[in-house]
Amino acid sequence: MPKPTRWWLIASFLAGFAFAMWAEELIIHWKENSLHLSAPKLHFLEGKPLERLKNGDSVPYDFQLTLWVGSRENVFERSAERFVFSYDVWEEKFSVTRARAPRRSISHLTAAGAESWCLDNLQVAITGVGGQQPLWVRLEIRSEEPREQPPILGDPGISLTSLIEIFSRPAHGAQPHWTLDAGPVRLDDIKRSSSRGS
Amino acid sequence: MGRMTRVLCVLFLVAWELNAWNQEPDANVNSRYSVESIHISGYHSSRISESLRSQIDKLIGEKLDSAALSRLASRLRDELHARNVTYKVQRGTIPDHVAVEFEAERTKNEFDLDVHNFAYNSQIGLSGEGDATLRVDGNSFMFGLVDNGNDLVERFAGIKARVERQNVGTNRLGLSFEFDSYHTQWNPTTLSSLETTGTLAGGTGNIAGIYRTRQNFQPVATLILAPGLTLGAGVSFERFQMQFPAARYESANTVVNTLRYHRRWDESDVYQQVLDAGYSLRAATKAFSTDYVYTRHEWDARYAFTHEHSTLVAGFLAGVIDGRAPLFERFVLGNSTTLRGWNMFDVDPLGGDRVVHGSLEYRYRLLDVFYDTGAVWSHGTSPDRKQSVGAGFRKDCFLLAIAFPLKDGRVEPVLIAGMNF
Repeated sequence: MPKPTRWWLIASFLAGFAFAMWAEELIIHWKENSLHLSAPKLHFLEGKPLERLKNGDSVPYDFQLTLWVGSRENVFERSAERFVFSYDVWEEKFSVTRARAPRRSISHLTAAGAESWCLDNLQVAITGVGGQQPLWVRLEIRSEEPREQPPILGDPGISLTSLIEIFSRPAHGAQPHWTLDAGPVRLDDIKRSSSRGS
Repeated sequence: MGRMTRVLCVLFLVAWELNAWNQEPDANVNSRYSVESIHISGYHSSRISESLRSQIDKLIGEKLDSAALSRLASRLRDELHARNVTYKVQRGTIPDHVAVEFEAERTKNEFDLDVHNFAYNSQIGLSGEGDATLRVDGNSFMFGLVDNGNDLVERFAGIKARVERQNVGTNRLGLSFEFDSYHTQWNPTTLSSLETTGTLAGGTGNIAGIYRTRQNFQPVATLILAPGLTLGAGVSFERFQMQFPAARYESANTVVNTLRYHRRWDESDVYQQVLDAGYSLRAATKAFSTDYVYTRHEWDARYAFTHEHSTLVAGFLAGVIDGRAPLFERFVLGNSTTLRGWNMFDVDPLGGDRVVHGSLEYRYRLLDVFYDTGAVWSHGTSPDRKQSVGAGFRKDCFLLAIAFPLKDGRVEPVLIAGMNF
């Protein structure tokens, strides 16, 4: 009969395993010369931003993807995007518009479909990264609150500099934000969608 | 096709493309729907100016414009002094139409210090009124200091305090309780006139005697009858310490009714019209155990027409008192707002129980010129119409002007300066 301490160890392991299974996970894909992401368990259309969307408002979400290579001391590459969400009050479907040029829009999506479309349109370049080098990826998402918004889609849209500035400031307490990390992982171990460098 | 025609066609196509490129579609998918209705909750619509109301109405029937709705929310917040204004877009009753509802959140706690008005008149001296207001959960508590030698035949100085609730069960009904306590000072010309009439020695004519202090308690209910039209109804319990022939207290307890109308028209960005008009009735009857029995009627109206940088303002005032009323009820002319240029103690040192006054004012940018005419007299005497003119500079609520009475003989100009009068 196992000692009580063993039961605690088994229980802790199971709890940790369950947490790992439940936790939002960032899956990295390698496509051509860039890394793409998917996070099927991440749902950022929730809470106050979702309430605003259901009230017919449009809500911008800012995304930043950061890549470290070799060590976490130096950022190798960083990319940022702003996506503006809205919710069709008649059709009860979501619509998303990429704010930076070239502008792209999609509509008639479910919440999960809209979230997934944004991640599909995010990428970070990996030109010059060795296949055996360890790398880390961080995805940060922030929902902008009404008073802070710069003009959502002014000509020529929001600049990359503005987006980097947004992420250089810490998110304040009430601002909805999400952060997901992946790594260390080697490039050669990441699933390829097509041949590298083609 | 000629060469010129081809060039024009190319230019047209380029212009068309540039136009299409510049007109980015709204990122909000609901922008393809038309606005069926717009409602505002949290405040009564009568608290919204005509100009803002007109902007709101213009959006009905148009495609939903998120930027325009955000601008409106911001203007509503400023105009209603609301803590926050948000909007909701919901399905309309007609397909492909949406209903917009603005939700105004009232300010919970707010503290304001305000100088209501301040005036200097070279013949009357300084007058001013300032107060501090604390707003808590829809109730406002005001405490103010007053020193006023401009509006009544007496100079009164003291404190005023008011508790007010603008929403009593409904946004249309408000309730306020005001308490005032003043010390009074009398101009030597007034005192000598009273002596002449025998009032200081305890005369019992139609003119009452002077008092050292007065206190007033006035509960009033205000009802919004229609947009811009308000009715105030209440009572005033006024008690004053008489100076002659012996120190004693007297009271003037009255029913107070006021009817006010305010309307603003913004027909375009260059034309604007504003009308303010009102009627007030104060009636003291024996039913309120009052020492004075009288009725006081007052009518006033002010119309302003603005075209670009020019504004024409016409004002009118009339009043009648029947019965024997305390001195603070009597009408005066010749201060910083009426018969500007005249000294009220030269016009009538005791005030009158009849008054008629009109004024015309023209403003161009900062320049302000005006003409006043009117008469104040007592029942049984004939009115003596007086006139004055003046010119000065006005910027927003501030005025600096020189006014002259139109009369024979030596004319002394009067300097008038101040704000909000």
